[in-house]
Amino acid sequence: MLALKSWGIDLLQSEKKTLYSFLGLYSFLSIVILAFICLLYYNFEKDLMLQSKRPLLQKYADELIYELKQLHINFDKQRTYPRFEEFDSAIFDSSKKRIFSTMPDAEIDLNSILYVRGEHIYFIDQPESYYLGSQYVVLRIKDDGTWRQAVLGDILLYGSLAFGFMLFVGYFLLRLFLKPMNEALHLLDRFIKDTTHELNTPVNAIISNVEMIESEPLEPKLQKRIKRIDIGAKTISNLYQDLTYLTLGHRLLSQDEPVDIPALLQERLEYFQTLLEAKKLTLHVDLRPATLQIDRVKFAKLIDNLLSNAIKYNRVKGSITVSSDKHRISIADSGRGMEKAQIDRMFERFSRFDSSVGGFGIGLSIVSMIAKEYGIAIEIDSTPKKGTKVTLSW
Amino acid sequence: MVKRFFLILTLLLGFAHADVYETNCVACHKELPVSIDKYFYRYLLKYSSEGAVKEAMKRYLKAPSKENSIMPEAFISRFGVKAPTTLSDTELKRALELYWEKYKVFGKLK
Repeated sequence: MLALKSWGIDLLQSEKKTLYSFLGLYSFLSIVILAFICLLYYNFEKDLMLQSKRPLLQKYADELIYELKQLHINFDKQRTYPRFEEFDSAIFDSSKKRIFSTMPDAEIDLNSILYVRGEHIYFIDQPESYYLGSQYVVLRIKDDGTWRQAVLGDILLYGSLAFGFMLFVGYFLLRLFLKPMNEALHLLDRFIKDTTHELNTPVNAIISNVEMIESEPLEPKLQKRIKRIDIGAKTISNLYQDLTYLTLGHRLLSQDEPVDIPALLQERLEYFQTLLEAKKLTLHVDLRPATLQIDRVKFAKLIDNLLSNAIKYNRVKGSITVSSDKHRISIADSGRGMEKAQIDRMFERFSRFDSSVGGFGIGLSIVSMIAKEYGIAIEIDSTPKKGTKVTLSW
Repeated sequence: MVKRFFLILTLLLGFAHADVYETNCVACHKELPVSIDKYFYRYLLKYSSEGAVKEAMKRYLKAPSKENSIMPEAFISRFGVKAPTTLSDTELKRALELYWEKYKVFGKLK
C-alpha cells in the first residue's frame, strides 16, 4: 500500500478490501505456481540422481542374484544368506511374502523399481529365474543427501528470485489497475479544492455581516429572514471546512493541547444554536468536567460533524441530548435512525443514506479519520424511526 | 476320558496323513535317480510362492503330461511321465503340504 500513500490516495474501505484481495490472490497463485514448479524440479533432480545410481545398483543386484543362484543349487549343503558390505538386501516371493531380509524394519514398496525413502535408496530387481523362490530382489544403499541439499538450495535461491520478480510484476499490475481510480479521485479532489477556495471569502463575508446586524431594532419578519441567511451561510461554511479538511487538513501536523471538553461542547452548541432553533429542537445537556490532549481544531471538526448530523437527520420538534464525562461524549438524537447494514458502511467516504438532506457524505468519514488518529472509539447505537446515539470514548 | 480319546484320534489321523506323503510320494521317488527335493527346487525356481508351487504340482499330479511337467525334455524322454494320481483331493493336499513343509526355504536361511 506504499504506492497508494505515495500517490496521496485515500481509498474507500471497499476499494482497499478489493485491492488487498487482489494482492492476496495474486500472491497465493504465485506461490502455488512456484511451489508446483519447485516440486517438478525437485522430482526431476531426484530422478536424475536415481538414474545415476542405477548402474551401480544393477551391478550389486547381479552379484546378489548370482549368489542366490549358487545358494539355490547348493541349498541342501549351504543355507547362509549372502551378505554384502555395500548394501542391505531382501528377497520376496511372487505373493510378496518376505523370504529373507537383512533390513527387517524397512518398509518396501515392491511396485516401484527405484525410489528414495528416508535416508535410503531402494532398488527392486526381478531375476529371470526365481532362485529360492525370490521373484523380487530388493537392494538398499545409504543416500548421503548431498543432492537434496543442493536441490533445496537451488529451490530457495531461484524460488525467492522468481517470487520477487512476480511481486514486481504484481506491483506494476496494481499500478495499472489503480490508474483510472487514481485519476478519478484526483479529478474529484481538484474540483473540490478549486470550488472551496472560491467559496471561502464570500461565505465569511456573509457570516460576519449577519453577526454585525443588531436584531433588536428589526421587525420579526426581517429577523426571521436574516436568521435563514445565517443558517444557510453556516451550512456552507461547515461544508467548506469539511472539504478543506479532507483535501488539506489531514495531511497537516496535529497541534495537540489539553482541551476543556465541556467548554468546547458548549461553544460548538452555541455555533449550531440557529440551526437548532430553526428545527425547533429541544436540547438536553449534561456536561461533566474533563480534558483531553488533542488538536483543538480537529476535535471541534469531529464534534461539529456529529452535531450537524444529529440536527440534519432529526425530526422537527425532536430532541438532542449531549452528555460528557471524563472518558466519553455521547450525542443522541430523536431522528430517523439507521439499519445495521447502514451503520457498517456509514464511515465510508461519499456514502449517504438520505438524499433528502444536503451534504456530500464526507462528514462521518472525517469523524472516523480523526477518531482513528487519536485512538477514540466510536460506538453507534441506532434504532430505525427512534433515533441514533453516537458515543465517543477514550 | 473324552479328551484323551480325541487326542489319540488326532494323533492317529496325523500319522495317517504323514503316511500319505511317505507311502505315495517318497516310496516311488526313492527308486528314481533324481532325489525328490530337486523337483521341489525346480518348481520353486519357476513358480516362486507357496500357493503357485502347490497349484502347479497339483495340476501336474492330477493330469501329468509332457507339457505341464517341470522336468527337462531329456528327463521325460528317458523316464516318461507318471500315471495320474489316485489320491483324493484331501490326501493330495495333505501330501503337498508335507512336501512344502519339508523343503520350503522360509525360516531356513540364516
